[in-house]
Amino acid sequence: MPEAVQPAVSVAGLCKRYGATAAVRGVSFDVGAGEIFGLVGPNGAGKTTTLECLLGLREPDGGVVRVNGVDLRKNAARAKLLVGAQLQAATLQDQITARQALDLFGSFYPQSFCAAELLARFDLEEKAGAPFVTLSGGQRQRLFLALALVNRPSVLVLDEPTAGLDPQARRTLRELIRAMRAEGRTILLSTHDLQEAEQLCDRVAIMDHGKIVALAPPAELAGRSGSPSRFIVRTTLAAGSAILDGLPEVIEAVHSETTWVFETRAPSRVLAELIRRLDEAGAELLEVDLRGPSLEDVLIELTARRGSESPGAAS
Amino acid sequence: MRVHPNLSGWMRHLLLTVALNFRNPQAIVYGYLVPVFFLVAFGSVFRTDSPPLQAHMGQILTITILGGACFGFPTALVAERELGVWRRYRLLPIPIAWLVVSTMTARVAIVASAVMMQIAIAHAVYGTPVPARPGTAALAFLFVTAAFLGLGLLVAALADNVPAVQALGQCLFLPMIMIGGVGVPLAVLPVWAQGLAGFMPGRYAVEVLQPCFDAIEGVRDVEFRLAALAVIGLAAGIAGAKLFRWEAGRRIDRPARWWVAAAMASWGTVGAAAWQTGRLHTLPEAAAWMNITEAQIEQIDFGGLPGDHDIVTPLAPASLDPAQTGGLANRLDLWQAGKLDDAGQSIRNLVSIAAVADLCADPREPAIGRLVLREIEGRFEPFMARQALAWIILSPEDGRVLTKAPELELFRHPPERVVRERSVIYAKKYLGRLLGKISD
Repeated sequence: MPEAVQPAVSVAGLCKRYGATAAVRGVSFDVGAGEIFGLVGPNGAGKTTTLECLLGLREPDGGVVRVNGVDLRKNAARAKLLVGAQLQAATLQDQITARQALDLFGSFYPQSFCAAELLARFDLEEKAGAPFVTLSGGQRQRLFLALALVNRPSVLVLDEPTAGLDPQARRTLRELIRAMRAEGRTILLSTHDLQEAEQLCDRVAIMDHGKIVALAPPAELAGRSGSPSRFIVRTTLAAGSAILDGLPEVIEAVHSETTWVFETRAPSRVLAELIRRLDEAGAELLEVDLRGPSLEDVLIELTARRGSESPGAAS
Repeated sequence: MRVHPNLSGWMRHLLLTVALNFRNPQAIVYGYLVPVFFLVAFGSVFRTDSPPLQAHMGQILTITILGGACFGFPTALVAERELGVWRRYRLLPIPIAWLVVSTMTARVAIVASAVMMQIAIAHAVYGTPVPARPGTAALAFLFVTAAFLGLGLLVAALADNVPAVQALGQCLFLPMIMIGGVGVPLAVLPVWAQGLAGFMPGRYAVEVLQPCFDAIEGVRDVEFRLAALAVIGLAAGIAGAKLFRWEAGRRIDRPARWWVAAAMASWGTVGAAAWQTGRLHTLPEAAAWMNITEAQIEQIDFGGLPGDHDIVTPLAPASLDPAQTGGLANRLDLWQAGKLDDAGQSIRNLVSIAAVADLCADPREPAIGRLVLREIEGRFEPFMARQALAWIILSPEDGRVLTKAPELELFRHPPERVVRERSVIYAKKYLGRLLGKISD
């Protein structure tokens, strides 16, 4: 019988309470080696608490967390060697330099990257000797990623790694995350940016009120949505034309000048009818942009529904 | 040889903590400039001491250590906690207590540098002697610093943010400065404050550090003071460790607050032990006169003194019959101001009476002059009399001086400044006779 592949991260029945509030309620999931796994959900869903339990920052009230088979409760010191983390709300001393920070954190591990290598990789060489307080937001986040990688971890935990960054910096960071996965590292991240989750993650778990309410690849999750598709059409029809009024199975239609926006659950039939009418009117179809339901749609559906089912159950 | 990663990380953290301290302008101001300011302030107030500042180095260094340990240390630690640096440390494969210890060790080095700077400046500017036994002084410093770092750890554990550190630190700092024998010398405090100071660690810190600078007395009889510091420092340190928070916003559990009560109880325990053993009000003034050396006495010049029959500082002959002084000899013998526990101040009081009689042109002035000399010779050990008289000569502004003595029928009170000047002349006449350099 072939031996089962051991997950890089295994969380089973994880529970964590803060006083009377249950922040995490029986969360279970496995993350395979080399996978990018996303935790998404509204504020207070329990994402950060779950990650902090995984990092040993919080003592779980129940459940088991294993990293590469090492039980975090029984052998925390060994598990810490296997994990690198980029935390929310954890910066550095104002006057510490990037090189000093990498040297310091690396010196606690038996195996670590040297500072120069990480500075080059994360494009921080020019800022190696600059005090932390002088770094830009993007430079700081790159330094935090470098610090997460300093101990050559097999598992990286990233808590909202691109929060508060400009689009260019977000793109750079996503590329760096993909590069880390390409090295075979497992990445577990939480994010509020659902587009980022769709682009980066192999699988996404949607959390709400301390529980996982859905877990699947992003596209599969989006497919479960009951939200209508939306397509945007631009034509050569003159403004004020009524040719496209009253299309069948359209839930909502709005238009301005030569652009129409339709919402429908039968996009193929609506599009066929639209093309037929344009053809009859001798008009040209200039542009069509079809957008199916997104991860955002499914998240809002799931969390809004659960919110109305169990108000105030979690923080 | 490969150093164990935990040890190399620990060392790197220690060195980095020291380095970051020197990059922080606020830390430089509070850690070095303020101690220099205190030194200069003390130097200005006690500029006439001989040697200057020697009798106050214990106080000056205690203020520096107290500031570094109870303000500097917790401020840095809490500021890092607020930034989330300790959250990051928590992820490391090393117990967080190790990093607390390296932070404390770094603080010892930082405070030591400030203390050495003060000793060097005092020596260079004021000629204050350096400790005769550097090893003993270093041990005393380490003991005091460790005790105060225990308090600093408790402050860091209790304070939610940096402003709270300042508030809590002041609660420790100000009482010790004002009535704890640290800022204001114990000797000039009222009796109730002296008693209260016995409950505070600052007093014991001064009493452990000061003997390192005392030329004659040296470091001895400090067991109780060391024990007092150990009890208070350990209790605070244990409470601080129990309540330590590596994360901002994390609350202290209600039962854990008993540790604060235990730490504060240690102050009461120490004070009660001092009271039980009669140490609460012990007040041998950290007397500057006791530091006068034979070499200093030897250098005093007795030339140019007025004659014994002159208008200024007359002195009756040695053959003066006490019976002819109208009972003055008996009254002087019973005079309380000449019988204080502090021999130096007693002698200064006696000499000032001779000066007052002279300045007031009292008809008994030559007799009083002679009787004062006899009191000094008869009541005090010769070496004490020599030291006290030399102290009056070398430090005329030091100690208290009497400007009248109604018990001796000296009612007029000439200006204190003149009494001090005239006391110097009498003291020279007396000391010259005790040394055999002036014949009767």
